[in-house]
Amino acid sequence: MPDTLLERYNYDEFIPSKFKPWMRFTKSPTLGSQSPNFALWDLDEQETNLSAVIKSNLFTVVEFGSFT
Amino acid sequence: MNEIAERFAKHNIGSLFLYTHEAHPGEHYPHLTSMEQKFRHARDLRDVLKVSRPILVDALDGACHRTFGSMPNMTWIFNRAGMPIYKSDWTDSNSVANALDYFVDVAGRRKNEPLAPFNVERLDFRKQNSAAFFEGLERNGPKAVKEFEAAFGR
Repeated sequence: MPDTLLERYNYDEFIPSKFKPWMRFTKSPTLGSQSPNFALWDLDEQETNLSAVIKSNLFTVVEFGSFT
Repeated sequence: MNEIAERFAKHNIGSLFLYTHEAHPGEHYPHLTSMEQKFRHARDLRDVLKVSRPILVDALDGACHRTFGSMPNMTWIFNRAGMPIYKSDWTDSNSVANALDYFVDVAGRRKNEPLAPFNVERLDFRKQNSAAFFEGLERNGPKAVKEFEAAFGR
């Protein structure tokens, strides 16, 4: 198994022992709780953060994903 | 989801796509090893999948994605105060639109009557499109198809 968090999170093959540990929706924050803030980047590689993005609208929809 | 973003924008509802990691790494889109590669994949995703919403990129270690449960294609809705008010472990545009209709209605009613929050759980149902899903796996490369079939069959 990979040693570092970076290697484990960015797993190199879709096998249960590598992807199942990340299916942790039941451990996610509860609704109505204050969300922690995180650095994020736009496609011009400019840094922003989740809180700043969320504050700019009444509500904000965030879809998490990748190619598949 | 792009259409929903456009439809609800007039209600001051923002929408974004947060690029996380490759759930099904393949020969064409392998697992991530650098931010440079992560930005490249995210730009390709915008162009190939025609994502018209703003795309933001998480840190290489997936700090944001991991905190919110690290599911491959989940959707969360936040209010302006920074609180999640909807979360789904899979993305379904009908479910998201239904939730937004409700929250827009709540925002209007709150102007005229006191409202208190409460919790509700609901099992929603999403459309399954395995042809499109396998098309996505094939885009990533034969390795992605082979590994998915080994894990779940076809």
